[in-house]
Amino acid sequence: MPYEWNFAIVLKYLPNLLEGGAHTIALSAASIALATPIGIVMGIIRQQRIPYLAPIAVVYIDFFRTSVALVLICWCYYALPVLIRVNLDTFTAVMIAIGLQASAYMAELVRAGMQSISPGQWEAARALGMPGHTRLRYIILPQAARRMIPLFFLLMVEVVKTTTLAGVVTYPEIVYDAFRVATEIYRPIETFTIVGLICFVFLFTLGRIALYLERRFAVVER
Amino acid sequence: MPYVWDFNFLLQLGPLLLAGLANTAKLWAVALAFGLAIGLVMGIFRSAPSAILRGIGTVYVEAIRNTPGLVQLIWFFYAIPILTGLQSSAWLASAVSLSLYTGAYSAEIYRAGIASVEAGQWEAARALGFGYRDQMRYVVLPQALMRMIPAFGNRAIELAKATTLASTIAFGELLYTAKTIAEDQLRPLETYTAITLIFTAVLLPVSYLCVRLERRVARNNGGAPRD
Repeated sequence: MPYEWNFAIVLKYLPNLLEGGAHTIALSAASIALATPIGIVMGIIRQQRIPYLAPIAVVYIDFFRTSVALVLICWCYYALPVLIRVNLDTFTAVMIAIGLQASAYMAELVRAGMQSISPGQWEAARALGMPGHTRLRYIILPQAARRMIPLFFLLMVEVVKTTTLAGVVTYPEIVYDAFRVATEIYRPIETFTIVGLICFVFLFTLGRIALYLERRFAVVER
Repeated sequence: MPYVWDFNFLLQLGPLLLAGLANTAKLWAVALAFGLAIGLVMGIFRSAPSAILRGIGTVYVEAIRNTPGLVQLIWFFYAIPILTGLQSSAWLASAVSLSLYTGAYSAEIYRAGIASVEAGQWEAARALGFGYRDQMRYVVLPQALMRMIPAFGNRAIELAKATTLASTIAFGELLYTAKTIAEDQLRPLETYTAITLIFTAVLLPVSYLCVRLERRVARNNGGAPRD
């Protein structure tokens, strides 16, 4: 007997899934908000080879770049509270885990962006007698930012995908809510098909924005 | 009173952790082998002259890359028994879903690698009387593969990270084993710290190796034609 698909019943629970989706987005936004400043600072420190700080940045970036998101989430939720003796709610624990990991990717993105500015720009700024931070602020970073923004959107795509892991520590994001709906109506495949479609529409759009920005900024540079 | 760290119980439970690590390795190896094979086919589809083949490749790659790996894994976990009648199994669902996941990302590596071979190579092969299949098989792919190796290394690292997803459907890999131990021994701090360090100890050296390979490949042909 072939399986009878029934999407109608899942669609009745669409508001539940979308509420989970809203939590997913909130968590992603918080993680990005944490990752961006740390990432920019770490990236600049590493690229500028600032004495004493640069090796720390390298260890930080390489550690979080090669660590596993789900392991970090479990560590922040189950282990960190034992260490600091403060109970963290699921949102904070996951935000710290994903935010720190994303900050390492962000740092690499900033470094690559700054590296891609031709040496002539650095030299010209120095020839004008600009001090270090002015060179960065007015010459290098504005140009690097243009190359970094499309990649920033791709980083956002990765962060959103990673936040679906938050359900593992019971944060009510989209996958967690989907499990609840699926158990209630005994329709796991249909539920997760719909969840997949919701994620696809959202992430595909973000990806297209990245592509559009990349083309647009490429025109400016010519 | 500061927290007293105690790793002794983990040493005693070493065999359990090793069994978990072995399951992680098994899942990684199977998904990598199948993923690279699927990726090769789909990467060639994505570069094919036929619009239909290109369409199939594009739909597959976009569908996998724009949905979270966890959603794919859970989907296969429930869908495999219903669609194929096979018994539901965490191992099968993990292996299938991670293979398809790796396949989509490696298809893009193959596609970019094939695209990086300059048109002159195709033309020269055609001038020698090679058909499309032979141009790909004997002229384009061998040159492209060398350039792809560092990217495949990074893919292998990402796949090793993704194997931890299987813990959510109770496949007994490293993270799942750790979870059981942490609950059993009431020592989450030591257990999860140890798991974090094990992953870093394995993946960080591999990551450095990939960076070195990348530099070497860039030096050897710079992705550009040599005279």
